[in-house]
Amino acid sequence: MSTINGTRSPQIAQRVAANALPLAMAAIVVVFAIAQPAFLTPDNLIGIVRQVALIGIMATCMTFVIMTGGVDLSVGPVLAIAGLVSFYCLQADLPLAVVILAGLAVGVLIGTFNGLVIAFLQLPPIIVTLATLSIVRGSALILGGPEQHLIRNEPAYSFIGAGSLFGLPFSIYIFALVAAVMIFVQRRTPLGLLVTAIGDNERAAHLSGHRTRITKTLVYAISGFGAALAGIIQSSQVHTALATYGPFGTELDVIAAVVLGGTSIMGGNGSVARTLLGVFFLGIVNNGMNILNVPIDIQLIAKGAIIVIALAIAARRS
Amino acid sequence: MDAPAILRGVGLTKIYGNLVALRDADFSLRPGEVRALIGSNGAGKSTLIKVFTGAIAPTLGRVEIDGVAAPLGDPSEMIRRGIACIYQHSNLAPAMSVLDNIFLGRQPTRRFGFVDSARQRREARALLERHRIAIDLDATVGNLPTVKQKEVEILKALALDARVILMDEPTAWLAASEVAKLHDTIRMLKTRAVGIVYISHVLDEIFAVCDTMTIMRDGRVIAESAVADIDRPRVVHLMVGEKLARESAEAAHEKRHPRGTGEIRMSARDLTKRGVFTEVSFDLHAGEILCITGLIGSKRTELLRTLFGCDRFDGGTLQIDGRTAAFASPTGAIAAGVGFVPEDRHREGLMLDMTMTENLAMATLDRFHRGLMLQRRRMSEAARQAIASLSIQPPDGSRPVKLLSGGNQQKVLVGKWLNRAPRILILDEPTVGVDVGAKAEIYRILRRERERGAAILVVSSDLEEVFTIADRIGVMVAGRLVRIHDADDCRLQDIVREIGGAAA
Repeated sequence: MSTINGTRSPQIAQRVAANALPLAMAAIVVVFAIAQPAFLTPDNLIGIVRQVALIGIMATCMTFVIMTGGVDLSVGPVLAIAGLVSFYCLQADLPLAVVILAGLAVGVLIGTFNGLVIAFLQLPPIIVTLATLSIVRGSALILGGPEQHLIRNEPAYSFIGAGSLFGLPFSIYIFALVAAVMIFVQRRTPLGLLVTAIGDNERAAHLSGHRTRITKTLVYAISGFGAALAGIIQSSQVHTALATYGPFGTELDVIAAVVLGGTSIMGGNGSVARTLLGVFFLGIVNNGMNILNVPIDIQLIAKGAIIVIALAIAARRS
Repeated sequence: MDAPAILRGVGLTKIYGNLVALRDADFSLRPGEVRALIGSNGAGKSTLIKVFTGAIAPTLGRVEIDGVAAPLGDPSEMIRRGIACIYQHSNLAPAMSVLDNIFLGRQPTRRFGFVDSARQRREARALLERHRIAIDLDATVGNLPTVKQKEVEILKALALDARVILMDEPTAWLAASEVAKLHDTIRMLKTRAVGIVYISHVLDEIFAVCDTMTIMRDGRVIAESAVADIDRPRVVHLMVGEKLARESAEAAHEKRHPRGTGEIRMSARDLTKRGVFTEVSFDLHAGEILCITGLIGSKRTELLRTLFGCDRFDGGTLQIDGRTAAFASPTGAIAAGVGFVPEDRHREGLMLDMTMTENLAMATLDRFHRGLMLQRRRMSEAARQAIASLSIQPPDGSRPVKLLSGGNQQKVLVGKWLNRAPRILILDEPTVGVDVGAKAEIYRILRRERERGAAILVVSSDLEEVFTIADRIGVMVAGRLVRIHDADDCRLQDIVREIGGAAA
């Protein structure tokens, strides 16, 4: 009898661990709401979504990279250079569509470069994208110099990051669209299944006839796309393009969101939808601590500790 | 043989959740005894072994070493008391040298904890000499052939002064002549009163080297016997139960179809890859099973990989259906109707964390989408049919493949090609580490594909298997396909002699 009773509590524990992130999120929301009622106001909640939109877009777009067992450290400088390229296109009086496409194209190209080197030369993603990070940052500095480039009198462009539609910031719609597309691709298309398969066993995927190297290139291109889109939104939001946007640590926030969402850093199982949970978890923690006037140094330490605790709980699941 | 037991398990039971993996099992081993532990996959052999190595603690029961109760679930204590285990998959550190691997984790040290490398080398040399094993102590383990890696594992156990060695399918990756060598080593260990538990699916080996056997089924010990007092049909019968035993006996009398329908599906002429294989020529016909056998290292696997487009060849010609083929990647080979089941199902075959349904669809994803949309329902439906027709257990497509037994995993691996109805099916060691029951079912699947008209090329080191399924038998020696026989007109002895090459 004892064995039968003994099996029940581990099952409950496992179920708790499997949903650790949503539960922790709920707990934190309750704590913040009690400590500072302003936390739960619609304005603040919308503010949270707006604040996480940039990291959220990059994280949903990087989830595939991490699912294949890779990582993309180059997103910060890509964000900066995409903003600069858009700025110069605006200056050249190009049509808005061209401006946006040019900014996005830079990100896709850099991502494709990452992917080609990683997939075809079979070099480790962490080193390749670290090198790209350096190359792109340097290129951005050459392109933009040290000064801020103000984006003035470009209402259409400014609408992307600063406008609002039906009472919500426009950037939230872009974030929602990107997230929806990525969730759809992951769950409902052969590409999503193939990405999981590559992360689980790349050789087996190759021997099953899949063009794994092309797929791997593609996922880095998607990550580059996400970073460039974030760069365009940011430059539009703050009416400025600057070579040092997306500073050191940006990529860590993005990776932390993906990993908090439960995607294994070793590749394989992962989920874009859960990455969103990770994004909001980090966003709520940041926002809550800001509202409670926690000093920035303490915030950094608390954030790091929370990430480790959340991962430790998630690791117990398996 | 009346010495007291060196290792004893009494009333061992292990329960995982609702699953009883081991049910009141008794086990006993005397010094110098070689005891076979046999049973289908999932019979409880591995669980029993894990209890003995201390990897898991039994829910009930006790383990005695020399009549003294041993602590349960404590691996380092079991090693200290002389229980060593050699696993089917290598447990070595591939980047380190042979010497370092032998002493891994317990190097002799001098003061201040520095490794006493001179002493380590001295002891290793003595060990090699005592057991007449020739191996380069400074070689990097990862660069050694599988056979040598097994020897390193045995050396590791011997260096521990192990009194009991548990061998979990030690010959799974060995060729015939290496198996004989391993058996010599086992006989030598016997003379030194080491007790050995020998797990294998190959009955030949058990009858060759074991004294006694313990047969398990469904987590229970169902029979114990001296090897001399039992015959093979009885063993198979006990292992798999009535029905499967009858089927496999019938299959042995099947008709062979050398050259099948006569239609040539794949034709190789003087196929050469420098430094690997040389001037390999053969024709593979629709409706036949051509088995290529040979020693490990005779480059059979490399040949298969080249045929499937994983590697390029530098000389000769390859034709598929009369058209010249030089595949740049597996994608091209698959488009031409070729399917390939690799040897190492964990490293190259399966997505272990993904479901059975997903694995079964992996080679046919191009058929399971409409526009951008993946058609999961059709995938599940196809998987349900495949699971039924391959009789995969349990028949639950949503189950991750890693939870299946080896035999069922192998069926998934073969099954994923069957959706494509491949014109040519290439299999590399299709039943390594697979139990007798699943083996019979895999043979049945291959025969069914042959009847359908597929051309089947199998590489196998298991001669029992070769003679069971082959219509024609090719022998490969040192990168050359020396001869192809009709299976009906050749004897086992001839093949064994040819495999050894001129030297034998």
